[in-house]
Amino acid sequence: MMAARVIDKGRIVSLLDELIEGYEVFAPVMSDDVVLFDRIASGGEARLDFANSKRLPKEAFFPPSEVMFVYAGGQPEAPSSTGDRLLFGPRPCDARSFLVLGKVFNTPDYQDAYYVEKRERTCIVGIGCNRPLSTCFCTSVGGGPFDEEGLDVLLSDLGDRYLVQIISERGRRLLEGNALLEEATEADLQEKERIATEARERIASRVETEGLSDRLAGMYDDPFWETLHQKCLGCGVCTYLCPTCHCFDVLDEGGEQRGRRVRIWDTCQSPLFTLHASGHNPRPSGRERMRQRIMHKFRYFVNNCGEIACVGCGRCVRNCPVNMDLREVLIGIMVR
Amino acid sequence: MKDLSQQIKEVARSLLQDGKVDLVIGYENGSLPLRTSPCFVRSAGEVERLIWNACCETNLATYLPDRDERVGLVAKGCDARAIVVAIAERQVARERVVIIGVPCEGIIDRRKVASRLGWKEILQANLEDGRILLAGDGFEETLPLEDSLYEACLTCEQRTPPVYDVLVGDPVPPVEVVDPFSEVAALESRGADERWAYFSQEFSKCIRCYACRQACPLCYCPECFIDQTQPSWFGKTNDVSDTLIFHVVRALHLAGRCVDCGACSRACPMGIDLRALNRKMIKDVWERYGYQAGLDLAAMPPLSTFELDDPQEFIK
Amino acid sequence: MPNPYLPNPAVIQRITDENEARDIKTFQVAFCDEKVRDTFRYTCGQFAELSLWGFGECPIGIASSPMDQGHLQFTVKRTGVVTSALHNCEEGATLGIRGPYGNGFPMQMMEGGNVVIVAGGFAFTTLRSLTNYILHPDNRRRFGDLAVIYGARSPGELIYKYDLEDWARRDDIQLHVTVDAGHEDWTGLVGYVPTILQEAAPSSQNAVAVVCGPPIMIRFSIPVLDKLGFPPSRILNSLEMRMKCGIGKCGRCNIGDKYVCKDGPVFTFEELQKMPREY
Repeated sequence: MMAARVIDKGRIVSLLDELIEGYEVFAPVMSDDVVLFDRIASGGEARLDFANSKRLPKEAFFPPSEVMFVYAGGQPEAPSSTGDRLLFGPRPCDARSFLVLGKVFNTPDYQDAYYVEKRERTCIVGIGCNRPLSTCFCTSVGGGPFDEEGLDVLLSDLGDRYLVQIISERGRRLLEGNALLEEATEADLQEKERIATEARERIASRVETEGLSDRLAGMYDDPFWETLHQKCLGCGVCTYLCPTCHCFDVLDEGGEQRGRRVRIWDTCQSPLFTLHASGHNPRPSGRERMRQRIMHKFRYFVNNCGEIACVGCGRCVRNCPVNMDLREVLIGIMVR
Repeated sequence: MKDLSQQIKEVARSLLQDGKVDLVIGYENGSLPLRTSPCFVRSAGEVERLIWNACCETNLATYLPDRDERVGLVAKGCDARAIVVAIAERQVARERVVIIGVPCEGIIDRRKVASRLGWKEILQANLEDGRILLAGDGFEETLPLEDSLYEACLTCEQRTPPVYDVLVGDPVPPVEVVDPFSEVAALESRGADERWAYFSQEFSKCIRCYACRQACPLCYCPECFIDQTQPSWFGKTNDVSDTLIFHVVRALHLAGRCVDCGACSRACPMGIDLRALNRKMIKDVWERYGYQAGLDLAAMPPLSTFELDDPQEFIK
Repeated sequence: MPNPYLPNPAVIQRITDENEARDIKTFQVAFCDEKVRDTFRYTCGQFAELSLWGFGECPIGIASSPMDQGHLQFTVKRTGVVTSALHNCEEGATLGIRGPYGNGFPMQMMEGGNVVIVAGGFAFTTLRSLTNYILHPDNRRRFGDLAVIYGARSPGELIYKYDLEDWARRDDIQLHVTVDAGHEDWTGLVGYVPTILQEAAPSSQNAVAVVCGPPIMIRFSIPVLDKLGFPPSRILNSLEMRMKCGIGKCGRCNIGDKYVCKDGPVFTFEELQKMPREY
């Protein structure tokens, strides 16, 4: 594998401008005080000085709404697109979420063509977190501020330059021979190790998750859920800002002769989510829906796919309108 | 703002001990700086959790509809107004709610504070003598409380709840406001194209999470218009025209009912200027019908009733 | 990459009213594409997602037997947006079909033994598929005794009356058709399905029971089957759940860690007992 390189921070814009020639580049941008990931037309649009974005890099593979196909005269036609893509700037927690999403959308029996096709065309260059937020708890759920899972390239902020570590073949193809990169020194590598270790130690939020799934097994009828859900408003903020949430609704728009079928994000916190046409609802109140959210992420997904469906990014904690704190919920479960 | 925590605890304790209510809904300390969290207390022993400060932002009236329990609700002026509307609309029985009125001198706007700090993460916040003492990674800053309040609080005429069963602490006079609708008028004076561009820009940020609707105490419809399927009135994607129409219709449904508590704007994770639409409705209803929602238990919202001499020049 | 969300165009060949209230119809459909028509294979108990263009999709159990050539049958009750649109269709109308989905009935568990089918009302559809499959000359020898206990609220609400008449003439099926309340022309059994099941008392020796119907019917049938000696591992049920994608991606049909569209809709009672009561 390619040896580590470094790139001067002042050259990032040029690097992105170069890559825009051959790739559709998605990078963090600032839009009205909010950091989100969007397609950029020039390197100068990218903003890399952020703790974590508000909206999610997963939107590059799984947007909030998407046309599945248009239909006319009873014949469906799905959109198609080609071209290499580059997702630049996600944090390791978000990169890890792509592995979780892959376990849903890319299974041996059925492949979600919309997600998989975009994912397979995309190279991912992530940036490690020198200073995790107080709400970050990636290390409690199997992640870390400089973890490489889900990344093709990892950038580490060494002050005036980034260390560039190639992780995959796709990453090598992206940057091999790039004149803007220089060789990394041993000192660079050691500095990265120091920063990475310090970042891990800085993580203040620690939640015990060992045995969490087993603990949940016996809690289906626990009164815990009744008390917990009370203040929940039943909105979709936690689910729509969550990197690993993947539920969606499918709707037809148009008439019988022509129209389109779209998919949009949906939330298990909505009372409509499991409402049968007959009027019966297996999850009639917030209690059942809150229980479903926690059980799904920390037990059912573990049973089915072997890992927790949470990457500890803390967005739900920071953005919940009523300060429902997932960390406190998990701690509450462990001490029951 | 006075610390009325002790008084609130005492009121809650006596209401629960005397069996006047089954449940007191108030605020407790949050898990993050500048946050509080709604607190549900069902026994006198738990009242110690209740607090009161300038971070008590949630409009707790949103928890009232569809509840069988008798509730004691800690209510600021705007919250109490929402309860009044809910009672008038028969969503809450007057005798099943004890309004614990709390005079309020303004609630902190977390976004304003964060913006002033360049969006650096706040690790500690303390409220002291009209100042907010903030600290984070490598910085400390003090902001005057009065510069850090929600826009809605700056023009609040009901800092003492207009309706209550018990008032905690001394009444607070309203803010002296010369022109409460100046920012609405400013928007109105911009041309239609400019306004369209402004609102398209704002609402293109919407992720259709419906936090605004869920946080609003007066959005209590068992089935929201946007969720109806027979017929499906409007699209549910985040196409900007679909999103705009959702917010416009929601604002119309709240016309004459919205009490401008700001719960919607605060709940919105994307910081959209939601109040702009509601303020316009409030201005129109005030100018046409001389009515403000939630001040009088006996008054009916003007769009739910009619008088023969109602203004109608706008009906062409 | 194949796109599992694209429906295959199909045409409605025939529509049959199944009940007096005329809110249950059987739609016989054929794929427009010859290749799909000739290669579409399914097993009893599986379902398909029917697309009504402009209205949406709904998951419907396949009511035809897998032995039928060149067409599929779906028996649909008018309930919501999509089913209403389907009921408004005429013969010759087109729709879209995705599938087959679901695990279907475990045929290997049933072959070589006896089969007891207990069905109520409109839930009979996939069990009718199973019955016709077993009765087919190519298959009959692989199964032992076949008992079918089927009931509806009233004679007019019995579906597949044409099949019931055919089956009544056969000697390789024990058929018990009952109604909750008869009328003066009804000469058949009268009584709730669990009661008739108890009277019929099929043997549980080397037998599998399949139970589908309204929750109350199931609730009272299970103790009868238990008394007859059927263990929970040999009682099958097909669940209904709100579905969208049908392939385990959209996240809404899960019960605990099982997806009804993928791990089900057929579950044994032993499996159901281990699942949270969320259906």
